[in-house]
Amino acid sequence: MIGAGERPKLSMNEELQKHCDSAIEQMFTRCHENAPNFGVTPECFGSSLRATVARFAGSSDAELSKKELDDFLTLIQADDLFMAVACANGNERSWWEFDHQHRAYMERVARHLARTEVDATDVVDTVYEQLYGTRIVDGERVSKFATYSGRGSIRGWLRTVIWHSLVDRHRAGHDEVSLDEMTENVGEGMAHASFAEPPAGGETEMVDQITRDRYKKVTVAAIENAFNTLEDHEKLILLYYHVENMKLREISRLVESEDSPLRAWFQRKSQARESNPAGRIHESTVMRWLEKCYSKVLQSFNAKLRSDGGLSDEEITICTQLATQDLAGNSFFRNLTATRSAGEVSN
Amino acid sequence: MENNIQLNPQELQIQGLLDRYLASQAKRTASGTTHVEEDSLSAFVEGTLNKRESASIVSHLVDCGFCRHATTELVRLDLAFAEDNIPAAAIGSSEPSKISEVLSGLFAKIFGTSDGAVFAHEEPKKESDDSDEDDKKDQ
Repeated sequence: MIGAGERPKLSMNEELQKHCDSAIEQMFTRCHENAPNFGVTPECFGSSLRATVARFAGSSDAELSKKELDDFLTLIQADDLFMAVACANGNERSWWEFDHQHRAYMERVARHLARTEVDATDVVDTVYEQLYGTRIVDGERVSKFATYSGRGSIRGWLRTVIWHSLVDRHRAGHDEVSLDEMTENVGEGMAHASFAEPPAGGETEMVDQITRDRYKKVTVAAIENAFNTLEDHEKLILLYYHVENMKLREISRLVESEDSPLRAWFQRKSQARESNPAGRIHESTVMRWLEKCYSKVLQSFNAKLRSDGGLSDEEITICTQLATQDLAGNSFFRNLTATRSAGEVSN
Repeated sequence: MENNIQLNPQELQIQGLLDRYLASQAKRTASGTTHVEEDSLSAFVEGTLNKRESASIVSHLVDCGFCRHATTELVRLDLAFAEDNIPAAAIGSSEPSKISEVLSGLFAKIFGTSDGAVFAHEEPKKESDDSDEDDKKDQ
């Protein structure tokens, strides 16, 4: 629960601090006008927001600029945060509003994600308990609402809380849980990219087993290196596509917001620039981003095989073809996986 | 097929190779990982994190299969709801119950009794029965 009167210290200069305080004050005034009977005090609201600003300021070593701060505060869902602060404080009127505005949505999300109606009902009840806060720490009720900071919409936050609650619920009943299994009824199936059919043999007869093994080893190292040379946003989009089996349409939804950092990264990197950077991101745009990633991986892959493996262009071709053939056998990365898995806890 | 990507033969091969490599890494989540908090995860999916704070989250999502999977499912949920095209407000048009009633029912279910002690925070009840009427006027 947010302690009234607490004033998180912000690591910013005095001028920026004053600017921040003034902006928070204005936000409070606006929210209070919209919901005067939520019983939220300026101190309580300010305390919550200052804690969020402090986390934001600390998320990078670079000094926070006034523009960054203003942009950040603009993105805060102030009215949602106001309601959350009021609910965390146990204000009856805010609970009524919350229940009125969001309960049906929560039930709908739960029904969509859960396997059974009973599970859906139970998970909504559980989340309501967490929101109210049945745990008492140091004499104070701990409401889940206190963890909402207004960074995204309250509905987005609620569906995340429900999703996590369902995962916890599923885990409680299973020693080994598969997240995929947990949500296998969600989404649109596993339709995914078609990959190249292994080309008809020919080279296999031309190289002996020792050579083949050597090629395999350097190929594994080269593909791993090529992936690791990508930037994080490029890695992530590849992981979404190949590991999470997200469709292009789903990825485009993820970057739909003009403020999406993933979208900004790709657009910034694009030499030609998108013809309409503020427009809707279509599947074809995501496709182009993926194609660029493949092109970068291919370049790094070839360069690594040339430099470290000492392979000629002809050998690289053979190497790639052999690796592609081996994909069908699913054995290519077995050793690599076994090595990596040792000592790691998977979710 | 929606997901067909037009690549040259070499890129097609690298795509296949990459797919297998990434599949081998699919369930990797370093032990002791602290997951992204729900608020930030939700903001990432909604695209409202800015560059300053998103760098560390994107980096985390690359390494953490759990959080990445969560974002995937949240995007799918979002799309599914958008396709349903049913206004959420229209789903439950019934009068919302007071939170004390909701929680009372909840605790009755859990503990077999409706323990009034947990509602100690409640605002004082008005004398008259028209409190709901007053609430509506306040809006």
